[in-house]
Amino acid sequence: MAALEIDPTAGPADGLAAVVALRRLADLMEDAEVEHAMRAGWGWPQVAEALGVTRQAVHKKHAPRLIAAGVDLRRR
Amino acid sequence: MVTRLAPEARTLIATAEQEARSTRSPYVEAEHLLLAMSSAPVTDAGQVLASVGLTRDAVEHALDQEFAASLAAAGVSVAGDGPAPAAGVGSARRLRLGASFKAALERSVVAASGSRQIRPTHLLLGVLGAQVGTVPRALQLAGVDQAELATLTRESLAG
Repeated sequence: MAALEIDPTAGPADGLAAVVALRRLADLMEDAEVEHAMRAGWGWPQVAEALGVTRQAVHKKHAPRLIAAGVDLRRR
Repeated sequence: MVTRLAPEARTLIATAEQEARSTRSPYVEAEHLLLAMSSAPVTDAGQVLASVGLTRDAVEHALDQEFAASLAAAGVSVAGDGPAPAAGVGSARRLRLGASFKAALERSVVAASGSRQIRPTHLLLGVLGAQVGTVPRALQLAGVDQAELATLTRESLAG
């Protein structure tokens, strides 16, 4: 098969790059919003339910960072 | 068969991991390597980038533009600077290597065949070998001719 001439900034490349960018945006938003909720006194169960993931998953992903940032994570 | 990384190349890869961490990326990708190179003007790779105007600020700006343009392709725009930067630097454990980083590294190994070590310039050739993805898009948005830049990089190796 002859090499396909691909424009990295048009057509399918644009659509695929949009997928990548949306994933990144979702990750950034998740970090910011989980922190927002925890600072507002939410517990892990509520955050997990709101995100539609398990408590273990959300805790594993965000607890180390929030503890490092000094967010008050009382037993909740 | 060379697989030995020159110390400067090793440093660049470590810096790329820091770049990924500070931009909150879960993976180290090719664009983080490009950022690391543009922040190291003392390396040959950094000099080649600077010669076409790709300073650290320029690369950062190009990547921001690429992010906005790609979101725009999905009809999404982000107000201001986007989501508030989250606190904390995350755990200290090593980040995983993303597919674009691995592909760039593989191309660097090929580019370095016949050399004693993989040098920063080989890493740059590896990054510039990508046909699609974030780096080619960012370069095009920055008005940089990727093929020409690759030629310049090869010339700097020869010279």
